[in-house]
Amino acid sequence: MPIEGLKIIGESINDSIPSTRQLFETNDIEGILELVKMQDERGAACIDVNVGTRSPGFMADIVSQIQQITTKPLSIDTPDIEIAAAGLEAYRPDLANGRKPILNSISQSRLEMFELYKTRPFIPILLTTEDVNENGEPVMNKTAMETYQTAKKFMNAAPDIIDDFSNDQIILDPGIVPIGSDSEGNFKRLMETIQLIHEDPGMTGVNMSVGLSNFTVMLPQKCADGTPVRSALESAFLTMAMPLGFNMIIGSVKRNYQILPENHSALQCLTDILNLEGFDIITRVITFYS
Amino acid sequence: MQNIIEEIAIRVEKGKVNKMSPFPPDMKDQDGADEIAAAALKEGVKPDTLLEGCMLGMDRIGVKFSENKVFVPELLMAAKAMSAVMKHLQPFLESGEVKHRGKFVIGTVSGDLHDIGKNLAAMTIKGNGFEVIDLGVDVPSNKFIQAIQENPGCFVGLSALLTTTMVNMEKSVRDIRENCPDTRILIGGAPVNQDFCQKIGADFYSADPQGAVEFLNRMRAN
Repeated sequence: MPIEGLKIIGESINDSIPSTRQLFETNDIEGILELVKMQDERGAACIDVNVGTRSPGFMADIVSQIQQITTKPLSIDTPDIEIAAAGLEAYRPDLANGRKPILNSISQSRLEMFELYKTRPFIPILLTTEDVNENGEPVMNKTAMETYQTAKKFMNAAPDIIDDFSNDQIILDPGIVPIGSDSEGNFKRLMETIQLIHEDPGMTGVNMSVGLSNFTVMLPQKCADGTPVRSALESAFLTMAMPLGFNMIIGSVKRNYQILPENHSALQCLTDILNLEGFDIITRVITFYS
Repeated sequence: MQNIIEEIAIRVEKGKVNKMSPFPPDMKDQDGADEIAAAALKEGVKPDTLLEGCMLGMDRIGVKFSENKVFVPELLMAAKAMSAVMKHLQPFLESGEVKHRGKFVIGTVSGDLHDIGKNLAAMTIKGNGFEVIDLGVDVPSNKFIQAIQENPGCFVGLSALLTTTMVNMEKSVRDIRENCPDTRILIGGAPVNQDFCQKIGADFYSADPQGAVEFLNRMRAN
């Protein structure tokens, strides 16, 4: 059963997934389209398309091909403005019931990507985890307040760019990092950021999304007792975040995401971590799956 | 002496940092790497012996990691326990009484802010007795070159997590080759593989930190 109110941007068409990259390398368009179909049928709200460093023409072609077999909107996933421009240009809203594509993603160091809105309106994913210094170079935000301030900067600028602006035309990415190496307490920063966004009346209705699979990379598949590790921890995060207005993920349609009961060991693990620091966070993760 | 090496190695391998640490649960209230190292030095054990213990422990956990028997969290705890020993060795390393086995310059390439893989490699290589010069993330070619020139005879490791920054890795390898033709270049990161390593003319690729350690040890033996 999918979680009510959670939209999944299907993650499978991504060059950084080895099996998908193989499909790109061998120009196996059939294989790519199979993956699209599978994600569509299993309930993806949207299909992410990341072609890595392949050419803008390659992106345009893939977008056109995918739109032949699905009416789901696409998420054009690249930090490269030329690849983004090609994907957006090739995208046809009329083949997606008039819906806009998503652009994944814009950061403060590449605000010029907003210019593409003029040629093809899109819903941007705005990366809040980094800002820029006085030289325009990207710097990572360190606290929830800094991350929230970056989100606010975006929200203040967006109405000048987006026609008929409303908060739901924006997706904020508050940034998730692998919990298995989170000795700097990023998980706590993430939850506090979501809370700050949720409590800001000026941000009511804004979408929030993270690349959820990233949360549990580098962890074992199964706990010592044979129960799954990754879907449990990812579900625990959703259980904590969704009451705070969190509503989207880039994730796997095959994963069994659930709202967990209060006494679930994965939920207890993440709740404990909010009160831990440094390497105690790491050992808490180990004791969860050991 | 064998005993001390083993005592240190087992604590590094299991991530038993100090007595206070409740981890791992089956070593609760036992002395950790910190206490064992301090006591050994007090009893006149040679600092080199402690370094050997670290190397043995890191080697064991590194092998288990490449066999998927343990995962990143356990590797991090081992590195933490190792640094508890290294803290006691620091004065001897500074005085020259204990010598590093070599120097290793490491960084994540330009445009890439990811540091987990780079940190894991740095810690494991440090645990193998190398002095590690960590340049951090988003490192441009000229910074790598400067560090290599300041540390003659060093190896250099480049990390990239994004498929989009692999081009910057390629450029850095080219720039380093041009300016420091004798330096051995190791590369790693999720999107990187052996084919890419050959294509860009780097010297070595490994999917895990242990592979890098084994390469460095082979190079030293030659």
